[in-house]
Amino acid sequence: MALIEFADFSFKYLGADSLALKRIKLTIDEGEYVVITGPSGCGKTTFCRAINALIPQFHRGYVAGNVYTDGKNTRENDVATFASVAGLVFQNPENQLVTLDVEKEIAFGPENLGVAPDEIRRRVEELIEILNLEGLREKHPHEMSGGEQQRVAIAATLALRPRVLVADEPTSNLDPKSAETILEIIAHLNKRGMAVVLVEHRLDLVAKDASRIILMNKGRIVADGNPREILAMDLCEEIGVGVPKATQVYKRLRTRGVELRNVPLTGVELAELVQEATPR
Amino acid sequence: MHRLDPRSKIVLSIVCAAVSMMFMDIIPLLMIFICLLPMIAAAKSLGRWAKSMKGLGALLVFVLVFNTLLSPVENPLSYSLSLAIRLVALMTSFSLFFLTVQPDQLSQALIQMRVKFEFAFAMSMAMRYVPTLGQEAYAIMDAQRARGVELDKGNLIKRIRNIIPIIVPLIIVSIRRALSIAESMESRGFGANENRTYMEMLRFGKWDWAVTLSSLSVLILVIYVRFFVGLPGWMLWNFPF
Amino acid sequence: MIILEDAHYSYDGVYTALRGISLQVDDGERLAVIGANGAGKTTMIKHMNGLLRPQKGRVILDGQDTKFMSVAEIAREVGLVFQNPDHQLFLDSVKKEVEFGLRNIGFTESEAEQRRQKTLASLGLEDFAERSPFTLSGGERKRVALASVLSTEPRFLALDEPTIGQDAHQKNQLAQMLAEMNKRGRAVVVVTHDIEFVIENFPRTIAMAEGQIIADGSTSMVLSNDEVIERCALAPPQMTLAARALRNVFPDVGQRLTLLSELEETIMGILGGA
Repeated sequence: MALIEFADFSFKYLGADSLALKRIKLTIDEGEYVVITGPSGCGKTTFCRAINALIPQFHRGYVAGNVYTDGKNTRENDVATFASVAGLVFQNPENQLVTLDVEKEIAFGPENLGVAPDEIRRRVEELIEILNLEGLREKHPHEMSGGEQQRVAIAATLALRPRVLVADEPTSNLDPKSAETILEIIAHLNKRGMAVVLVEHRLDLVAKDASRIILMNKGRIVADGNPREILAMDLCEEIGVGVPKATQVYKRLRTRGVELRNVPLTGVELAELVQEATPR
Repeated sequence: MHRLDPRSKIVLSIVCAAVSMMFMDIIPLLMIFICLLPMIAAAKSLGRWAKSMKGLGALLVFVLVFNTLLSPVENPLSYSLSLAIRLVALMTSFSLFFLTVQPDQLSQALIQMRVKFEFAFAMSMAMRYVPTLGQEAYAIMDAQRARGVELDKGNLIKRIRNIIPIIVPLIIVSIRRALSIAESMESRGFGANENRTYMEMLRFGKWDWAVTLSSLSVLILVIYVRFFVGLPGWMLWNFPF
Repeated sequence: MIILEDAHYSYDGVYTALRGISLQVDDGERLAVIGANGAGKTTMIKHMNGLLRPQKGRVILDGQDTKFMSVAEIAREVGLVFQNPDHQLFLDSVKKEVEFGLRNIGFTESEAEQRRQKTLASLGLEDFAERSPFTLSGGERKRVALASVLSTEPRFLALDEPTIGQDAHQKNQLAQMLAEMNKRGRAVVVVTHDIEFVIENFPRTIAMAEGQIIADGSTSMVLSNDEVIERCALAPPQMTLAARALRNVFPDVGQRLTLLSELEETIMGILGGA
């Protein structure tokens, strides 16, 4: 059984003119690192929220088809049911920290689900260590930087022990250094077995770690596969997706008749491929 | 003082306030006030208390002057003095609570006193977002000033109208923020279970019992003395003017 | 021309945000300001339109010390667009939003009408003229906020983090718009973390750290400087990393490669135009 299954799922927000998601059909399994990307308004944000039932339970509208997360139908179960399956991390870190300190924030999720106090305490300490939050214990959320806040938000989500981390543009509001840190944390979590669904514009930062890229446009999935395959497609430029620069160079060389052996995702890979291709 | 359970502090503060309210004469009120000071000192909050009393200063002077000049009572100065002292005692009783209890402790206390979690949490969330809201308001003022809105000029009417470009965005931004916060909270199971657990529960220690019981006894004693026995003559002394 | 002359500024006398900033922006220039959070970038551009006044030093706009000008007066010449459009929008139609700035600055009814039309057209917002800005998408609201500042046709335009959350297409549109404005003689200053955007669109870059300007010059020079990248908490541009990797094998590869097209040509050269 797949971890997440979209079965012909469509959704239209109340009062909207058109469908935000049109007959989405796909599955996501344990351990995958899926990057979802596409132009603004393509439905990627809606997609994330459909995984843990925020859509259609919190955001009401017209629904067709079904989404099964961990085997449970999101149209028939409330959001809380999925809290310990899919952990959502959102774009604005400040809006995810609702308490006055780090410990309480991490404890918030488990407390809501009635986890025993000792177990909660254990998880809090564990996560403070794993995510390096020791120095933030005494800080008020407002005093933390965006990157620090987002780390706490991730810890707060992980406290529920989800099987998939769904992150909707978690680095958009962060400076580049913090963005890198957060993405490293996410890649690390994936290596340790957690499935990741990440919405991100800046593919240069995540393409190398992803196991799969899904392109969306106007509410539909238009491409789904291996990162190198997908980024080499001209479709990316057509719909306006930010292809990593190294891959862009590869594509430009291709139009000039130069075919490198593989599709590079980083500058270093590009250099290696060029070196390989150099005539002796 | 700080380590006491907030619930016993609630009892203590209320008793002190009640006792202050029961007397109209200078000497008893002074005595009450003198008893309050060591409690504030024990809380190591004398500095902050003094600051808030300073803020009260203008009001005190007003009460004193106003009542001395206008009240129909026999000894107006005496009367206004006792009013002033009563005010200070009352404020100090409540300061005893607010200077020593953190917002989340208060929240937890309310929850354990059977207030619904949603309400207590709404209160602590409001406090948590105050600085954020403040910053947002400044950002909005900057953005509008950059478009030529002059916030510090003009007569009263103009200034009130100029609040609109600040208030409307602030409300809208706050509503959007609230929706975003709600998404995050729901995703973490908010509202899931009737049986919500708490990582840190407040527990009554022996000092808490001591404080609560002695406050209540003092209250009973004072009520008895004040209403049934009457105060000794020397306590009722006041200034002859 | 805007000149900042040895500007110093501290918030509440405690937190020093600017420690002696001196720079000059000529009419028609296009420049980017980069730096870590807290380096003073936003503080600096707030000095350009008078929202903040230097506690030491001066800000000179077209030869006049801004000390004697009100923010509203300066706003005629210097437009500042902040990151969050929702901080500005409060009226019930896009039309009124765009006119708002004009009214404040003192244009007459008919002048306002004319400029409003022009601005809406230039940003592709004519169809939205009667709609409430709150019904528009995030990207569209950003354009409305920009339109309302542009309507007064300021000669200097400063934007604080305009590319956050924008997709590739929207960034291209923004870049085109800024280039247009530039062609018509308007100076554009952009504060941003997005170095790829900077590389592609701004010939001059100013790097700030801890309240001071640590570099001011051509973008390719500033962004190939490792110390600058480090102190601004940035990651080196992708092309620079590629160039470095290439240089390990082909020592002739240029030191200052930052543009994609430059790298492309270099590689074609290496591969002998195969």
